[in-house]
Amino acid sequence: MTQHRHRGLRRIGVLAAVPALSALTLAACGGGDEASGSDGSSGSADSFTFAFENASGGQQNPWQLLADEYAEESGVQIETQGLPPDSYGLTMRTQLQGGNAPDVMMFSPGAGNANAVLPLAEAGYIEELGDESASLIPEGNESLFQIDGKTYAQPTDIIPVGVVWNTGAASDTGVDVPADESAMLDACGTLAEDGKSFLAVAGSAPPNMGLMAMAISATRVYAETPDWNEQRTAGDVSFADSEGWQATLQTIVDMNEAGCFQQGAAGGGFDAITQGLTQGTSLGAFVPGAAATELAKATPGLELQVQPFPPADGGESYLLASPNYALSINASSDEGAKEAAQDFLAWMAEPENAARFTELQGGVAITGPDENLSPVYEPVADLLENGDYAPLPNLAWPNPGVYDALSTGVQGLLAGQGDVQSVLEGIDQAWDQ
Amino acid sequence: MTATMGTPQDTGALVRGTAPAAGGGQPARPRRSRPLISYGRWWWALPAVLAVLLIHYVATAGGAFYAFTNWTGIGDFDFVGLDNFRRILEDPALIGSLKNTLFLAFGFLIATNVFGLLLALALNRSLKTRYVLRVLFFMPVVLSPLAVSYIWKFIFDFNGPLNGVLAWFGAEPRTWLADPTLALWAVLVVMSWQTTGMVMVIYLAGLATVPMEIEEAAALDGASTWRRFRHITLPSIRPSVAIASTLMLIQGLRVFDQVMALTGGGPAGATETLATQVYKETFALSNFGFGAALALLLTLIMLVFSVLQQAATKDRS
Repeated sequence: MTQHRHRGLRRIGVLAAVPALSALTLAACGGGDEASGSDGSSGSADSFTFAFENASGGQQNPWQLLADEYAEESGVQIETQGLPPDSYGLTMRTQLQGGNAPDVMMFSPGAGNANAVLPLAEAGYIEELGDESASLIPEGNESLFQIDGKTYAQPTDIIPVGVVWNTGAASDTGVDVPADESAMLDACGTLAEDGKSFLAVAGSAPPNMGLMAMAISATRVYAETPDWNEQRTAGDVSFADSEGWQATLQTIVDMNEAGCFQQGAAGGGFDAITQGLTQGTSLGAFVPGAAATELAKATPGLELQVQPFPPADGGESYLLASPNYALSINASSDEGAKEAAQDFLAWMAEPENAARFTELQGGVAITGPDENLSPVYEPVADLLENGDYAPLPNLAWPNPGVYDALSTGVQGLLAGQGDVQSVLEGIDQAWDQ
Repeated sequence: MTATMGTPQDTGALVRGTAPAAGGGQPARPRRSRPLISYGRWWWALPAVLAVLLIHYVATAGGAFYAFTNWTGIGDFDFVGLDNFRRILEDPALIGSLKNTLFLAFGFLIATNVFGLLLALALNRSLKTRYVLRVLFFMPVVLSPLAVSYIWKFIFDFNGPLNGVLAWFGAEPRTWLADPTLALWAVLVVMSWQTTGMVMVIYLAGLATVPMEIEEAAALDGASTWRRFRHITLPSIRPSVAIASTLMLIQGLRVFDQVMALTGGGPAGATETLATQVYKETFALSNFGFGAALALLLTLIMLVFSVLQQAATKDRS
């Protein structure tokens, strides 16, 4: 009996030891070294980690190149993490909550994108930055980088958004940049008869549809009412009741009916844009100005320029341009890493380094167009100098669902689903959630 | 005697410790405490059971908890009761996703089972090339659903081979994946094309158990092909029908890869399913609470339909 009892106790002991050992092992894995820092973000004054979006995954990413230059110049070690754009926002959120986020992170300003900085700053995950960073914020863009006067992100450069125009193909076909909507619709008909299109769009990719709508809204909405987003936040206006937004979406419907887009546009992907632009079968496309520089670099002989989208008849030209990327520091990083990160941001703010990054990314200097302005932006230089531009609207929208409602709604208009009014009502609903 | 009466495989008496004592005479008193041969103790499985409980059930319950909150994936959250579920039922886009999910699930169930059974019947016996054909029809099953979907996306492209073939016959090209009326059917075609081979294999295994003699006897009695199938083959492969239909229904209800790769849920939500909405709401729009509610709803739907389907295919004989 005694032996039996001992055997039974031993079994119970083994039984208890297995989960206990497992739990201890897991605790050891998860606990880390308390002395090494408050969380997984380690570093000292001569090293830090840096995460950014890297669509191609290559080493020629402008953030990577800049980090390499800084590391070489300062001797600071930078561990970079280039992530795919579609999962970047989610990864950063997860890492920030898990306590293993990088020390420096690239974000989108405002709150309207999945990788936006302000919701993270509100939740206390982002370190407050100093006056040097605040001084770089373009006038009128403060609400995209600050909460209650405190700055949480440092802008890098300005990216204009209009129509990227293939000047070579346009001159071959004898089509000039249309002065207004009527001229544009006429040009669309002429080009369609020749088997070409005025614009190449990626109808199957909602973000491209959203960008198109926003680029058109520059002249229909924001040229007359630059503070339209603030009015919408205050509840004074709505998308459904806005004549400007109605005109914006109606323009898209009219363009579709006039044959402004390539054949099969509703099912086209981003490859349709690159093929159309580079082969000259389409004269223009809605892509950020920085992508025009990249495309032109990749295709010898291709002449691309950023043009403002033709205004409504009798309207004035207007452009979208804003700092679409910003850098922030992890509030939970070690003091040494924070110091190193702040030094990096200060280095980036220096005029020659900011100019270098602008050149690498293909944007416009954060301080406005200067003597280094890329020839790609020559047609919009006057608009930039005169301040005739508004920030990308969705940066100031309250949640990513608003842009998603706009994007999918426009996609539906192109595919023959829904109507202008129902799309606008859907955007209002998304805003109010 | 007991031992010699049993079949060679019958080791039950030995295992249960009831074998007579060597040399005859009084049989040994059965020992209740331990069998002579044993293969393990129930608690050996405890670590695995704990892991399953923690990883599957506790994690799922934790996810279900967030269905009643407005958590955005970061920071604090509030309890919102059933608000997320009310929003699902009031949102026409989400009701559309539910309809799409059911359409794809039942369309997939029917298409794969009908074509899988037809292929199995055709390749069961007699055909000389049946082994080669079985391999060919099964090959798509081993491919990645994403890879298959991207190949089909190329086929369905406006400038792709399908429109090219149609042009030979003078038909107008179509935007297959951007047409709200065609896109869902296109997704169904791709799903069914890839999985029919799997169902074929399940039915081939079932058909192997159907006695040829009975079929031959029925044929000699003058039963038609259909009557033989209806009254001999189909009842014999009922377990295969139950397995194939259950697997296909569940796979159809949780379809994700093909939709994301082919249409991304577009155009304008025309091919959105509950699974793609869960992904979009949770990971793209950071509505974790709402996404959890959608996921919980999808789980419940799968549970209900699986139980109903099991009841429908139950062998009542």
